[in-house]
Amino acid sequence: MAEYAAKKLAQMLVTVLGVVTLVFFTLRLIPGDAASAMAGDTLSGEALQALRQQMGLDEPLVQQYLGFLRNLAMVDLGETITTRIPIAELLLRALPITLSIALATIVVSVVLSIPLGTLAAYMAHKGRNWLDNGLTGAAMIIDLMPSFWTALVLLLVFSLGLGWFPASGQLNWSDPWALVLRLALPVIVLSLSQVATLARITRTAVLEVLNEDYVRTARSLGWSELRVLFRHALKNAALPIATVVGLSFGNLLGGTVIVEFIFTIPGVGNLLIAGINSRDYQLVQTLIVLYALLFVVINFATDLIYKTLDPRVQF
Amino acid sequence: MIGNIRKLLAASLTLLAALALVLSAAAPAMAQGKTLTVRFYDDPAGFDPANIFRIENENIAFNIFSGLTSYDGVTGEIVPDLATSWETPDNKTWTFKLREGVKFQKDYGDFTAADVIYSFNRIKDPATASPYAAELAGIVSMEAPDPYTVIIELDAPNGNFLHTVANYHQGQIVSQKAIEEAGDQVRWQPIGTGPYYLDSIDVSSQIVLKRHEGYYKGPAPIETIVFNIIKDEATATIALRNGEVDLLMRANQEENLTTLEAEGFTMNAVKDYAVVIGVLNPEFEPFANPLVRKAMAYAVDYASITQAISPSLTQPYYSMLMPWMSVYTDDIPKYEYDPEKAKALLVEAGYPDGFTFKNLGTSAQGVTELQQFQIDYLSQVGINMEMELVDTPTFNQRRNAGEFDMASRLLPAVNPDMILFSFLHPANMVPNGLNGARYDNPEVTALLESARAEPDKDKAFEMYKKVQQIVAEDAVYLPAYSNNVYWPGKPEVTGVHINYLAQVNFYDVDITQ
Repeated sequence: MAEYAAKKLAQMLVTVLGVVTLVFFTLRLIPGDAASAMAGDTLSGEALQALRQQMGLDEPLVQQYLGFLRNLAMVDLGETITTRIPIAELLLRALPITLSIALATIVVSVVLSIPLGTLAAYMAHKGRNWLDNGLTGAAMIIDLMPSFWTALVLLLVFSLGLGWFPASGQLNWSDPWALVLRLALPVIVLSLSQVATLARITRTAVLEVLNEDYVRTARSLGWSELRVLFRHALKNAALPIATVVGLSFGNLLGGTVIVEFIFTIPGVGNLLIAGINSRDYQLVQTLIVLYALLFVVINFATDLIYKTLDPRVQF
Repeated sequence: MIGNIRKLLAASLTLLAALALVLSAAAPAMAQGKTLTVRFYDDPAGFDPANIFRIENENIAFNIFSGLTSYDGVTGEIVPDLATSWETPDNKTWTFKLREGVKFQKDYGDFTAADVIYSFNRIKDPATASPYAAELAGIVSMEAPDPYTVIIELDAPNGNFLHTVANYHQGQIVSQKAIEEAGDQVRWQPIGTGPYYLDSIDVSSQIVLKRHEGYYKGPAPIETIVFNIIKDEATATIALRNGEVDLLMRANQEENLTTLEAEGFTMNAVKDYAVVIGVLNPEFEPFANPLVRKAMAYAVDYASITQAISPSLTQPYYSMLMPWMSVYTDDIPKYEYDPEKAKALLVEAGYPDGFTFKNLGTSAQGVTELQQFQIDYLSQVGINMEMELVDTPTFNQRRNAGEFDMASRLLPAVNPDMILFSFLHPANMVPNGLNGARYDNPEVTALLESARAEPDKDKAFEMYKKVQQIVAEDAVYLPAYSNNVYWPGKPEVTGVHINYLAQVNFYDVDITQ
């Protein structure tokens, strides 16, 4: 186990370093820089050059790269190029928001999708296909609805029409109920597609297991259907489900960009888009490194969860 | 196992509740006085006059700082601000009498002539690396014979110097003490003499302004202005309809405007804010020929297009200058829709079968409705317009470098002299400036230089008029349409006058019951 962890850690470091290098140079391959992105219509010529110099964009590339690596090694995330704000400070504000939304979404979608998926599998197994067909169909439709559209429809219905949830406003951490109301719609939008995916995965995984010998054995022992379903079938179907949940969590941490934009939530996705639009290299590369780290860690954690879920898994 | 989870759940809930109690007890009591909540449409990028960009940031700075002069919100005319009066015998030596008893925000002391000299020198100082340094480059010397008089000497006469020292960019007066204390954080710690000061800011969600009680005209009617960042316009519209915000800073989608107007919101607007022009690169051979450029102008029916796409936001337009500018003339050739004339001109120019060119655009916007119409109209006279879509920074970079057949530009400026100089003077030819048409007409250049130097307003006007006529006759740039800026708000929000820089002076704004 220790040997495995050490090996994995080394692999993780190499992966992250590769990502850092790739991101650093590809970002700078894109034409345009922070100065021209900022100036837009207003500047050209010498004035633009002055701005570029002030942003430190005229330093040699290798020097910038080594500086970035050195700072990363010292866990110094630096400042944004355009606005001179410490990136750590921005992250400290954005990360809890994105994390809360991602966690809430995962909880909501797991709670809804696993029973649904299991039930669908069970019904299908029994030859009663209506629920299975209905569920799969609904899941497909939900999965195909673009989140920006769902978001707007929900806003129109539940915020403007019924007045249940606010459409904008500050995230007030000192008022948990207001916070729940404020984050409800984004969590619902994100959960919809998660539920659709997860329910389908659960259904497939459980259905496969239901035909296994040990399930038949369990039944023959006279145990209740529920016990068979949840203790034996679902537990053995948990591996693919855990993988998808882990990946979904990673995706949620980075993929809430559109939802954050529409619901005006100042999370990490919002930061990333702002960084890309303003060509703030420092901000973008730092965020990407963070994502790379997160994904690597999540993968590692999923591996460990495998081991707990299924002791037969060998590293 | 289940029991453990229950215990854990109960414990964490209790903890949460306790935390919430502590936090809510610590929350400050609600401030007294009127509060206005305004939608802000992008992340703020800072408010240092030496390094400020984009209208939304400029609008905050406009309320924090003052200039020697300012712009009237309704007429757009130059009005006294920190200077009470001024005189110049020759457009070269400018003497400003300064207002007494003006105080900087947050106890940064009294405003005097020394602050003017410091502020302008700071912009000029290469160490500041201000992109606006060129605006003040003409200043040879500044003197303060007494604390409330400043004499500024220019290297050449400039009849538009009052624009240069207005409450905008380089013209905004800062406090030396505040600048030095803020170090490299000036953009987030602005201190000025304007009606509002920056109280707090969360760069990804909120900006809070509080009124400057010591403002020289007296405190503003509204005590607190909260700017909530709402980037998506559909969401912003819902937020206004829900009553979550009182005023939308900029709304520019026709369907939202229609909805809001129908529901009785006040449609605060400024008409003819700026013109969008087509810039044709003469290095692309057909565009070197004025006949072709005229044909391009005749070929497109902007009256129908603007009516079809966004009648509230745009109207066809034929000049580079706006009607509210003092040197504007209506007496110029206008190329109204006439496809037959366009075809005839193409034949005369030697392109009877037309030609193909590329119009540079951004992938963020895609092929806009306007461009779809342009493609269609141009194809009817035999001109094939293709779109070349690149991402926004690339677009800006290539447009600044002049690397395109055709590109468009919005001309947002209040100083007509600056527009004409930037777009027509050979010294400003791309990549050094905005003259993307590579225009170099000695007659126009001479007229521009003499007009700038001319102290007699009527004589200067005649010269500017001549420039506008020549440029329209040559079809150097192709004006397409002018646009309007809207700030829809609740009916009880009054005094929202959008000036010609698309800014609102919040000193005029009030909430009435």
